[in-house]
Amino acid sequence: MKTGFVQIFKRSVLQLVRRPIYWVGIFLLPLFCFLFLSSLMEEGLPKKAPAAIVDRDGSDISRQISQTLGGMEMVDVVANPNSYTEARHLIQEGKIYGFFLIPENFEDDLLAGRAPQISFYTNMTYYVPASLLYKTFKTTAMYTKAGVASEVINNVGFTSDPTALLLPVNIQARAINNPFLNYAYYLCVSFIPGVLQLMILLVTCFSLGQEIKYHDSTRLMQLANGSIIRAMAGKLLPQTLIWWVMAIFMESWLFGWQAYPMHGSWFWLTLSQLLFVLAAQGFATFIFALLPNSRLSLSVSALLGILSFSIAAFSFPMQSMYPALGIFSYIVPTRYNYLIYIDQGLNGIDIFYSRWWYIAYIIFILLPLPFLRRIKNAFNRPVYVP
Amino acid sequence: MKNIMRQFYHAFLSEFRLVKGDMGVLIFFLLLPIAYPIVYSLIYNPELVRDVPIVVVDNDRSAKSREMVRQLDATQGTWVKGYALDLADARRAVNNHEAYGILEIPEGFSKRIARNQQGEAVMYCEMSLMLRYKALLVSSTDVMQSMGAIITTERIDQIAPLAETISNGEIMPIENIQLGNIEGGFDSFVMPGILILILQQAMMLAVGMCGGAKREHPERAFYNPVAKKPGVFIAMLGETLTYLVIMIIPTIYVLHYVPLMFKFPIEGDLLQKFLFILPMLFATTGLGFILQGIVRERESVFVIWVVTSVIFLFLSGLTWPGYAIKGVWRFLSDCVPATWGVEGFIKMNTNGASLAQVAPAYRTLWLLAGIYFIIGYLVQRFVQRPAILSGLKNN
Repeated sequence: MKTGFVQIFKRSVLQLVRRPIYWVGIFLLPLFCFLFLSSLMEEGLPKKAPAAIVDRDGSDISRQISQTLGGMEMVDVVANPNSYTEARHLIQEGKIYGFFLIPENFEDDLLAGRAPQISFYTNMTYYVPASLLYKTFKTTAMYTKAGVASEVINNVGFTSDPTALLLPVNIQARAINNPFLNYAYYLCVSFIPGVLQLMILLVTCFSLGQEIKYHDSTRLMQLANGSIIRAMAGKLLPQTLIWWVMAIFMESWLFGWQAYPMHGSWFWLTLSQLLFVLAAQGFATFIFALLPNSRLSLSVSALLGILSFSIAAFSFPMQSMYPALGIFSYIVPTRYNYLIYIDQGLNGIDIFYSRWWYIAYIIFILLPLPFLRRIKNAFNRPVYVP
Repeated sequence: MKNIMRQFYHAFLSEFRLVKGDMGVLIFFLLLPIAYPIVYSLIYNPELVRDVPIVVVDNDRSAKSREMVRQLDATQGTWVKGYALDLADARRAVNNHEAYGILEIPEGFSKRIARNQQGEAVMYCEMSLMLRYKALLVSSTDVMQSMGAIITTERIDQIAPLAETISNGEIMPIENIQLGNIEGGFDSFVMPGILILILQQAMMLAVGMCGGAKREHPERAFYNPVAKKPGVFIAMLGETLTYLVIMIIPTIYVLHYVPLMFKFPIEGDLLQKFLFILPMLFATTGLGFILQGIVRERESVFVIWVVTSVIFLFLSGLTWPGYAIKGVWRFLSDCVPATWGVEGFIKMNTNGASLAQVAPAYRTLWLLAGIYFIIGYLVQRFVQRPAILSGLKNN
């Protein structure tokens, strides 16, 4: 019997090719997710949120407001309910995400200086549409107010700049490197590597678990002449190569075809993807070494892989979490992928500032080494615990 | 008839025994829906993004500029970490991930205000997270308005009494009222939807794994190959009853106790919410019967199904609103029980809708349940049953 690294490598390639589940796990599902997430959010920002105007006044000014609002890019005025109650029912039925309320006698009160109140309601059970509606409603209300105010001011014979009078202090908020507040940038560049990490964790643990489950691991150890390093390297290297191809494809997909912002060095970003694959594999091996059992290691991988999407703080910042939980965001490789993208891709700053993220990758890669002995024992005496 | 009832009863019992004896399945059925909601809710429980650190480049160094910085520091969203010498110095702090915004106040800021012109400043926001940007934006707007209101009143006092209507204060107050999730917290927004997704995924994974277990150990499936009993449909009904009985406790816990524990908005009638979720559990079971067709062993369910949670999350309209989901994705989204479950549950639980108001989602769920049971029957009849049968022969 021929033994050695090359034999193990060949055997692993055959295992991967022969079982459909690897094709599904390595190619089909990740590629589907790449395509799905980026094409779902192609618009960058969901435009035209359904909304309503409740015009209880029916005057010139109120009709003007309705018109202004109807022309706004972010809203789609789909209803003109007669009362607050009707509008609230539309919200409960999910037909609109917010509404603008102009009270009775609005124009009369306004011109008589009785300070009528304009209110707008946003359904905060859906964050994104509610935030967009909030912005549009607020702008519309401010325009109206400014228009009315400058008219009043002109009427009293005050001639200087009305903007300066009404808004004496102005703080412009500038969104650096994402001026149009494209939401897809964040969701795609964080969730797509997250999917890749999840699949790497699962496939790695699955393939190692299969050896034990079907008692193939003793043969693997024979082929490796008893060396666990050789066995693991031969077993995982074919997967590494495939994942590398997938990771590079992901990078070109996101920053090439989809043209997400890339203001830094391609070298560092690519290096990040390659190390990311190794880090995820290292992390998976570590999990398997601690729990050399198919189902337990898969359960933990699934748990951490799915939790990564939240704990890695892509949407809710780590600094705002409870410290005891926030600390866990450091134990998943995909967080570093995201941080490196932000530094090296979105902001394009010096590599010096990202040095720790790369070191974190290396720690993940080295993590399983002290525990390989546990895998060796499990491989030599395979026991399948269902 | 009596015979059928007996078969049904035995199918139920045998499936119950299988679940009870399989740790993996039990983890999905019970541990996952009990532990996950807690972990997730805890992650987001701080609800709001507070005190985002910024640095200030003050080129004006006046009483007004200092006042503005003080007010900004006092807002909920912003924390003034310190002053920087110049923009380059401030950039270094941002690059070092010590601050996420730079407030630059140009020279002449206070002079312009004194001259009845507009005093301008710029807040540069680092865009690594939308919620941080939002916190800085809201803070800036608040300070603009509160400082501005005082200065405007002062100026109007100078030209008074002509502009009496304005000097009374606001000529047209603007008010924003948040509905449903009235405090606008992140946890209260995202969790009610996540809870429903957890229910669906836990059930799918468990049912899928039951199928894998039967393929690996065909003798554990309740089937008598000689008598060819029970029929596929009876067996499915018995199994469904098992799954629903087991899901009773997780469902009550997830729909009622988790929102109580974490103080999510709770509206609507509890009984109606349970009634609403029932067809989702049926539809999910049906989908699980279909999934069993491709699960050849217990572990493969992980590789095949776990990642779908991400897909379903996006299809549900929670992060990316439903009206912006188009074409083939719209269709796919409509096929997922949790999409309707999330939609209906949020409307009932957070916006206080009644079952009648979510009737379209409710009807669709029953329709999906019907469709998935029919397809599930075909899968069971032509894939799962033959696989178990051939497994029995090989033993």
